[in-house]
Amino acid sequence: MYGASVDDFDLDQEENPEQLANFEARIARGEKIEPGDWMPSEYRRQLIRMISQHAHSEVVGMLPEGAWITKAPTLRRKLILIAKVQDEAGHGQYLYHAAETLGATREEMLDALLEGKAKYSSIFNYPTLTWADIGTIGWLVDGAAIMNQTMLARCSYGPYSRAMVRICMEENFHKKQGQEMVILLSQGTPDQKAMIQDAITRWWWPTLMMFGPHDSDSPNTPILQKWGIKTRSNDELRQDFINQLVPDLQALGITLPDPDLHYDDESENWITGPIDWDEFWRVIKGDGPVNKERMAARRKAHDDGLWVREALQAYAEKQAAEAMPA
Amino acid sequence: MTDTQWPRFMVFQQSELDEPFVHNGTVHAPDPEMALMNARDVYYRRPKAEAMWVVPAESIFSVTLEEQTSKEWQQEAEGAGIEKEFHVFAKFSHQGQCEQIGIVSANSHEAAMRLAIETYTDKQVLWWWVFPSDAVMASEAEDTSSMYDPSLEFDYKSQAAYPVVTMMRQIHAKGKLEE
Repeated sequence: MYGASVDDFDLDQEENPEQLANFEARIARGEKIEPGDWMPSEYRRQLIRMISQHAHSEVVGMLPEGAWITKAPTLRRKLILIAKVQDEAGHGQYLYHAAETLGATREEMLDALLEGKAKYSSIFNYPTLTWADIGTIGWLVDGAAIMNQTMLARCSYGPYSRAMVRICMEENFHKKQGQEMVILLSQGTPDQKAMIQDAITRWWWPTLMMFGPHDSDSPNTPILQKWGIKTRSNDELRQDFINQLVPDLQALGITLPDPDLHYDDESENWITGPIDWDEFWRVIKGDGPVNKERMAARRKAHDDGLWVREALQAYAEKQAAEAMPA
Repeated sequence: MTDTQWPRFMVFQQSELDEPFVHNGTVHAPDPEMALMNARDVYYRRPKAEAMWVVPAESIFSVTLEEQTSKEWQQEAEGAGIEKEFHVFAKFSHQGQCEQIGIVSANSHEAAMRLAIETYTDKQVLWWWVFPSDAVMASEAEDTSSMYDPSLEFDYKSQAAYPVVTMMRQIHAKGKLEE
């Protein structure tokens, strides 16, 4: 049956070289691997790791923005923000679904998140201090996510690829509503200009860290590229993002918090100063500005929703009992 | 009670009345009715849908092109059950999703699959799905407007509502937005 449980997979199966060669040839031909197809257990393991982390990031990603729904300055901005946060909830669901096709259960993924064992994108452990942060998240954070997700939309695993196609389509709305906010604030009153400058200053470096460690410190990258899960490296995606953003932000009169930032004529790249990887690892390991608040909010939402789940369960049981012949 | 995530239901969407149903993803729910409501919220935040189905994931039998030649499922004995209708879905391109292609009548999932593969031979199929018609919970035609029409009005959910490319072009050219 579709999407069997993980017990149905013999994860310790001896992987014979012929199957592996056939699998790699399929990927080389650009074919999608679907649930039910033979795949190396390491491919399955890497995908469950990546997709579940991605799903958790969508779910936790609702929190920094959700905090501003009640404080949005106009009804239109409030509707936009509600729609965006609702999209992120949906994206989390698409991704949990994709991971389930590999044998992970939603129970174990959600438990791992609530117990603080699961990783999610480090960016969501930074606080949203002003309304300008909402525009900045849309343009920078969602913009960075889109670079990564556009690549993943071409990945070799069918369900992940399809979830990404859908997500990218919706994320473009997220990015553009944010970019519009940043443009308007940067062309606004002196207070608005100061507010957007402050937001970009705080979010710039954490956004660059979203692409992950340098290629030289990214041990999973070679196998992920070989099996068509990632088709580009962290540093390549990060460089593309920097090249896209710097000229636009500078044109808006925004100063980036990097005295070493310069354009290199030879490579035609914008070159940044060194990224503070100590900060990255600190935040990933739980010691970011608001890690504890994020997890507390997620657990509270889960606990507060218990009565709804109980009511739905009771209703389903009652309907089933009534449907039974007397 | 245990705090479970409930059974999985597969979600299918029909965008226009004359188009096939297409697979979208899954939801978890305690019953089909709730699955349909969850499916609407998770998968139909944007235009456009005419109808949707939810089907318990366990009632779908799937065979990939790779599995098609394996003997295991083909040797399943003929079912002893009564004949009933099975929906047949197929994925035709690597980038595509499974879509509805027809109905066969059979007395087991395996028999329905064998019949589907014999019947629909005009195009190469990469992934086959069959499930009994009576496993489908479908949205009602009379609910179409209340379930799907509201999203037609949410223009702000489309990237087209944000003219940022034009705005940036003006700023790069003139240093400011045009009034």
